[in-house]
Amino acid sequence: MSSSPITVSQKTPNARSAQALNRPPFLVRNFPFVIVVGLLLLVFLLMAHVNIGTANISLGDIINVLTGKQVDSVTYTIVYELRLPRALVAVAAGAMLALAGAIMQAVTRNPLADPDLTGATAGAVFFAVLWLSRDLFYRNVAPPDVGVPAVALVGSVITGGFVYILSRGRDKQSNTMRMVLTGVMVAAIFRSLTSLVLLINQNATNGILMWLIGSLNGVTWSHWGTIWPWAVVTLPLGFACAGVANVLHLGDDIATGLGSRVELARLLLLFVAVLLTAASVSVVGALGFLGLMSPHIARRLVGNDARRVFPLSAIIGAIILLLADILARALTTTVALPVGAVMALLGAPFLIYLLRRRARSV
Amino acid sequence: MNDITVKTNRLPQGHVSTNGHHPVIKAETLNIGYGQRTVVEGLSLDLLKGGITALVGPNGSGKSTLLKTLARLLKPSAGEVFLNGKAISRMSTSVVAQEIAVLPQGPVAPPGLTVGELVEQGRYPHAGPLKMLRKQDYSAISEALRLTGMEDFTHRSLDNLSGGEKQRAWIALALAQETPVLLLDEPTTFLDIGHQLEVLELVEKLNRDKGMTVVLVVHDLNHAARYATRMVALKDGLIVADGPPSEVLTADLLNFLFGVHAHIISDPETGKPVCLPYAVVATAEKE
Repeated sequence: MSSSPITVSQKTPNARSAQALNRPPFLVRNFPFVIVVGLLLLVFLLMAHVNIGTANISLGDIINVLTGKQVDSVTYTIVYELRLPRALVAVAAGAMLALAGAIMQAVTRNPLADPDLTGATAGAVFFAVLWLSRDLFYRNVAPPDVGVPAVALVGSVITGGFVYILSRGRDKQSNTMRMVLTGVMVAAIFRSLTSLVLLINQNATNGILMWLIGSLNGVTWSHWGTIWPWAVVTLPLGFACAGVANVLHLGDDIATGLGSRVELARLLLLFVAVLLTAASVSVVGALGFLGLMSPHIARRLVGNDARRVFPLSAIIGAIILLLADILARALTTTVALPVGAVMALLGAPFLIYLLRRRARSV
Repeated sequence: MNDITVKTNRLPQGHVSTNGHHPVIKAETLNIGYGQRTVVEGLSLDLLKGGITALVGPNGSGKSTLLKTLARLLKPSAGEVFLNGKAISRMSTSVVAQEIAVLPQGPVAPPGLTVGELVEQGRYPHAGPLKMLRKQDYSAISEALRLTGMEDFTHRSLDNLSGGEKQRAWIALALAQETPVLLLDEPTTFLDIGHQLEVLELVEKLNRDKGMTVVLVVHDLNHAARYATRMVALKDGLIVADGPPSEVLTADLLNFLFGVHAHIISDPETGKPVCLPYAVVATAEKE
């Protein structure tokens, strides 16, 4: 964890001098600089991701492939067909999951919230698993030829909507506590439904396991084709919601007093979070911890203003997923390690660290 | 003192407006409740421009409920609140936010948020669709910070402030809204006596210098008497007394509202009434 280049500058407020308190911290004052550095790091890791692997490809060859120059076909296949789509999907999915996490933490006013609370993750996995096991249910009818990501996406959005509707009370008002609990419950229901399907379909667990853990193995351009249009729409939409999220983050009464239509604002943010989660989870599976971890690192760096936290979370999410996938590929040569397993390995200790820190500061 | 009109349910002793102003806020036969429980029933109240009105009463008398309803944070089950003659329930909430700023009780800021970032949110109802801050927004923010004496705290996290500083930061948020009306729910709770007076003097200054109409829920009757131009006493969701502090703060009222015996004396410094409760009224006496 500590070796990753993103956990820099962890000054506690007490450690700052009194003089420094009269102006914003360095990283806040130079926020555009932070973003540029983050993006440069992202590009560097993208190149490293394509570069590092069982077959090491020189940087020159990568650039040659990208610029369309002639290279030998093996190099071309490795770079263009195997590694590049995988790296790009990692960037998009990482950014989207992290932004979804940042949005959920603002909407629920709960620092431990993550994209899973939308229900979209469990929904995506359930529908994906159901679709992968469809032979069990449709022995004689040929099901329509639709890709798993598309099915997962639709299922995910449906589940997200389900959570929102259930989290509204009889007064047609949602409240954050009910929303969090409903999200947890609906996710639990869908997870157990997934287990039931797995019990029935014990032969096909291999492909399904990747969905449960979250994996970038076997990602191709078609996956990129599924995810990029969503990324292009939902990421800017999420960033644009930062002002609304800031006000909502102050609590319902304050937000109403400031002229926010709280119910509508919450629905909008939840909707964006569901789309972000659905689009990424339907391509890479249920990647845990990323949506929880990234906003926390972003906040540690640049404070709690959503206009800074949202974009930085997205960049950090992309960086972490790329790093984790580089690790996942570097650690194994015989079995392809799913990136989700590496993420949990990194994420769980981080979560424990976070809880300990909060316990101390209270 | 003649800037108030009253409609009371029990003790009609109100002042009738003589300057012909329409009320800024007018509450008409409000019924307010939570679920099945009705807290306020058939309450009407007019608030004219430029006064400091203190809502007082025992716990559960409906003061906070009334304040929240005046600020459209709660919807009344019957009746209507009018803002400058228009039904507040039919107004866009962001338009209301340009007229009324409200500070509910015990607000909680997200961890790590700085005072400056908090106060900036006060410009939300004024900002354009892209929510970019313009020149007038920055001047409103720095004015709010100046009035509350929070300039030196702009970049401090709210987590690290004392209770008094925190409260001033939240008031600065409300002031950044630059509204003619300010509603405060127990702004002095949890503050020591020095910080209590600081907040109340700020309220007085805003009323005097900026002509803001202020309504505040206060527990301390002497504070209400000292700073408010009008006291509205509630019990069980009904207005039981309404008028200038010198008329409202009486031994009878304290007996009726809180069940205590009290001496009412005049503050040698300000001439305002001060109550000195000395005993709980025995149950037999009440009958």
